[in-house]
Amino acid sequence: MSKSRAVAGAALVALACVVIADASVHAAFAQNPFGAPKGVPDSQVGGIIGWLLTKQSEFYRAMSTTIRAAKSDGSAVWTLLGISFLYGIFHAAGPGHGKAVISSYLVANEETAKRGIALSFVSAFMQALVAVLIVGIGAWLLNVTARTMCSTERVIEIASYGLIAAFGARLVWVKGRGFFRALRPSLKTGGPQLAMAHASAHAHSHSRDHGHDHHHHEHGHAHAHTAHAEAHAHAHHHHAHDDHCDHCGHSHGPTPDQLAGPGGWWRGLSAVLTVGIRPCSGAILVLVFALAQGLFWAGIAATFVMGLGTAITVATIAVIAVSAKGLAARLAGSRDGRGALVMRGIELGAAGIVLVFGVGLLLGYLGTEPVRCF
Amino acid sequence: MTVSMDPGVRRDDRRSFSRAILGLCALLLAFVSGITTAAAHPHVFVAARSELLYATDGTITGVRHAWTFDDMFSTYALQGLATKTPGVYTREDLAPLAQTNVESLQEYKFFTFAKANGKKEHFNEPVDYYLEKTDAGLTLHFTLPFKTPVKTKQLALEVFDPSYFIDFSLEKTDPIKLVGAPASCTMGIQRPSDGGAAKAQTMNEDTFMNGENSNFGAMFANKVTVDCP
Repeated sequence: MSKSRAVAGAALVALACVVIADASVHAAFAQNPFGAPKGVPDSQVGGIIGWLLTKQSEFYRAMSTTIRAAKSDGSAVWTLLGISFLYGIFHAAGPGHGKAVISSYLVANEETAKRGIALSFVSAFMQALVAVLIVGIGAWLLNVTARTMCSTERVIEIASYGLIAAFGARLVWVKGRGFFRALRPSLKTGGPQLAMAHASAHAHSHSRDHGHDHHHHEHGHAHAHTAHAEAHAHAHHHHAHDDHCDHCGHSHGPTPDQLAGPGGWWRGLSAVLTVGIRPCSGAILVLVFALAQGLFWAGIAATFVMGLGTAITVATIAVIAVSAKGLAARLAGSRDGRGALVMRGIELGAAGIVLVFGVGLLLGYLGTEPVRCF
Repeated sequence: MTVSMDPGVRRDDRRSFSRAILGLCALLLAFVSGITTAAAHPHVFVAARSELLYATDGTITGVRHAWTFDDMFSTYALQGLATKTPGVYTREDLAPLAQTNVESLQEYKFFTFAKANGKKEHFNEPVDYYLEKTDAGLTLHFTLPFKTPVKTKQLALEVFDPSYFIDFSLEKTDPIKLVGAPASCTMGIQRPSDGGAAKAQTMNEDTFMNGENSNFGAMFANKVTVDCP
């Protein structure tokens, strides 16, 4: 009975998260376009957003004129690369490019800022590569129509959304289990059991003080082995812990060293894959345009430089996300035991974002810069 | 045993927990979605010219558009198109593309939204469509007939892409023409750049009540109103 109550409580929290997700997405859509006075190129859209929009449009439109100019004047290629770089930086601040997915993935897992940067660069590079491949094979090799290329782009787009949703679902599953494991002991009703669970939590926090970081192991087994916990609580912390893990090691989530290992990188790359396979439609337009002007190589160079700019923006946001989590960890950590629960909650929330995004994109609910084919 | 808590305290704890987690969820989501929706920017630029077609009895029968695409998109759209003379695009050469264009535009409701006396009007399939290649770029001509021609005191016409993938702007000179309209009709044009905060707010209600989700582009809409008293 108490267990079902715990589950119900946790489900409520999860549900609330989803509701908030929904509301905040709506709010974001509602606020940005309409909160500010409208008007685009002449900077009437308020603040940073208007400025970003204006700059992006300027750079984007400058690209076609620069490519045309490069036909007769080779030095214009340098201008093109400069513009592409800036465009990449500005453009990535807009929808797409995997900021949300990569950042949420990093927050959902025990990831470092360094890996966040690496993953951002890999995904941006991949996006550029896919754009070059689509135009290289489609337009240059096969000379297909724009419509065909655009349809390809769309198929890839939907595949990407599906992968994001699937990846998000997996994250929610893993993180949800971790969260409920962390939640269960703290919700357990009945005096003595709680007391003992608490005691074991005590033991752990104590053992952490001694430099044994068993972050991932706590709580899950606390009440299952309460008798042990109690017995060992005051005696031999570390040993008590090892005892537990003989019994329950199979049910654990990935440990930090597993994540840092090659398997961890692979998992990170699968996050990158979900967003990396979707090329930027702007890059495709630039590439086709460059090809038509007989300057395909300049278009390819511009695309990769654009990717570099994109990577810088995405990496910056990823680092902010990871640091925010670090800050939350420090704040929550001061209340021992429950700090872990808060962290598991954040991770579950971040996993939920990936899922909500994937499903939202898939259903066309979040129309973040969808490709228009006509 | 060292610790034994009374149930009341625990419930409080649990509540503050949930609250903390909810707060963090909210923060995180606001952060991520805020960034993500910050700035879509257009990839296609259209300079639009439109005509409102009137029957002799003063009913409005349809809208005739002429949309000129920017250099980059015009080139992109012509990719892979076979022509009789290389580099020369005749109307016949462009006919299949024009066909594709109007068929595909159906999905986006032709980016054309009309209201007669505040009531939404629907369009039939486009007629008289063709593409024209000039130095300015590729121009798509097509006529959208109203499903039911209307006689109305006020007609409002908006041209925009809700997702703002395409930026529509009205041509600088004579972007809108009333063809065969009663002499008493007056026309007002609002371009995206001459709207104020007040207008943006009325648009907010309007666009969100329509149940369209990603209506980001609405703030860049070109709105034409025709009053025929």
